[in-house]
Amino acid sequence: MRKLWILVTTWLLMSAAGQAMAGGGPSSRDTSRLEEGERIYQQYCASCHGSEGEGQPNWEHQNAQGELPAPPHGPEGHTWKHSDAMLYRIIAEGWRDPWNKTERLTMPAFENVLTPAEIRSVVNYLKTLWTPEQRRHQAEESEGAPFPSQSE
Amino acid sequence: MNKITGRFWRALSLTSWVMASLSFVSMAGGAEEALPSLSYDQTGERLLKVQANQLFESTDGGAAWTMIPLPDEVAEGRLVTVSEPATAEQALYIAGPSIGVQRSTDHGETWQELNDGLPNQDVTALDVHRHQPETLYVVIADDGLYQSEDAGTTWKKMDSGPAQPVRRLIHSDMEGSMQTGWLYAVSDDAVRLSMDCFCGWRPTGELDAGRVYDLAYKLDDPEHVYVATEQGLWRSDNGGQEWQQVKGDGPTFVTLTLAPQGTLYALDREGELMRSEDQGQTWTPPDA
Repeated sequence: MRKLWILVTTWLLMSAAGQAMAGGGPSSRDTSRLEEGERIYQQYCASCHGSEGEGQPNWEHQNAQGELPAPPHGPEGHTWKHSDAMLYRIIAEGWRDPWNKTERLTMPAFENVLTPAEIRSVVNYLKTLWTPEQRRHQAEESEGAPFPSQSE
Repeated sequence: MNKITGRFWRALSLTSWVMASLSFVSMAGGAEEALPSLSYDQTGERLLKVQANQLFESTDGGAAWTMIPLPDEVAEGRLVTVSEPATAEQALYIAGPSIGVQRSTDHGETWQELNDGLPNQDVTALDVHRHQPETLYVVIADDGLYQSEDAGTTWKKMDSGPAQPVRRLIHSDMEGSMQTGWLYAVSDDAVRLSMDCFCGWRPTGELDAGRVYDLAYKLDDPEHVYVATEQGLWRSDNGGQEWQQVKGDGPTFVTLTLAPQGTLYALDREGELMRSEDQGQTWTPPDA
């Protein structure tokens, strides 16, 4: 699994580099943003969602307090079903499942921890964990719901 | 020799008959029971009833019913549901196995097939988004849940859906969703719930009530939900987290709907309508 993850990440980084070499875009910026996204993920997200985005056990079922464990971010999860705008909002503002009976948020808010650009970077890093079809689906969902402009 | 041959043919024909009978029983057992379904059209202020592959409307609270013409394809399939946008649209959607999805905007005079982009026409459930008249959801048997955001012109698979066959799909604008609302999926064994971004189906609270038939929620208070089950009517005041049985005097209902004023309408297995003005405690026929 780890090898596959490294392979996918490497492929994406190399794709970004190749695009730039062909005159397609700012590769070093894209690459560094993906690296930044991974660094932020490992620092702030991995403790709950797993260092490889594997999520917590029984993530699909609420526990006795009505809390949902942190879901995986890979193909088996549902992160790829959310638009850029929604993923940004959930990371920034956090989210509380309405069936959660505790005082805690289901997903903590990071808007006082991460800058808008950092939130965008971590979302872009999560995209490296999805299948091409899932990336396509998510890109379509994001057409009408992109990242907020302040994250650029 | 002739005797042996005769016995052989008799045995063979008996075996064939038994096999054919078993096959018929198996097919009949596998076929879904066609239960009536009921819905309230807010814009038209009318009740809509699907029964015996026909569609009826009533504008007087169920005292009199008028048949709405249906497309020829319905005769080849099994009409299971009717749904209509909650806003001022004239559209009427019908669906069912072998029928797919069809829409009429002229009171049933003409119908338009909306099956391009669906893998087949075995639609078991359909609903229109509570506030977005062009957003439709359908369940395809043994496949999953599809969404259209352009009134059925194109479809996109969103989810594999609950593992259990879904007989009713109901969109709700209850608060707390990451996206725009929630979808209730009613299966024989339970009611399940997902946000309409399709990030996982959760079972609703314990509902030890036998077979589950249908669900309806109060339009101005969507956490207030009713389910019709084999063991009567159940109610939840928190969107289905917990259920309490309603100790009413009604028969077993197989479908129900709520009018904006809070009147609860329900049909029994034979399609007889009853209504309740006190949250399911007492029931009366429409002409009472």
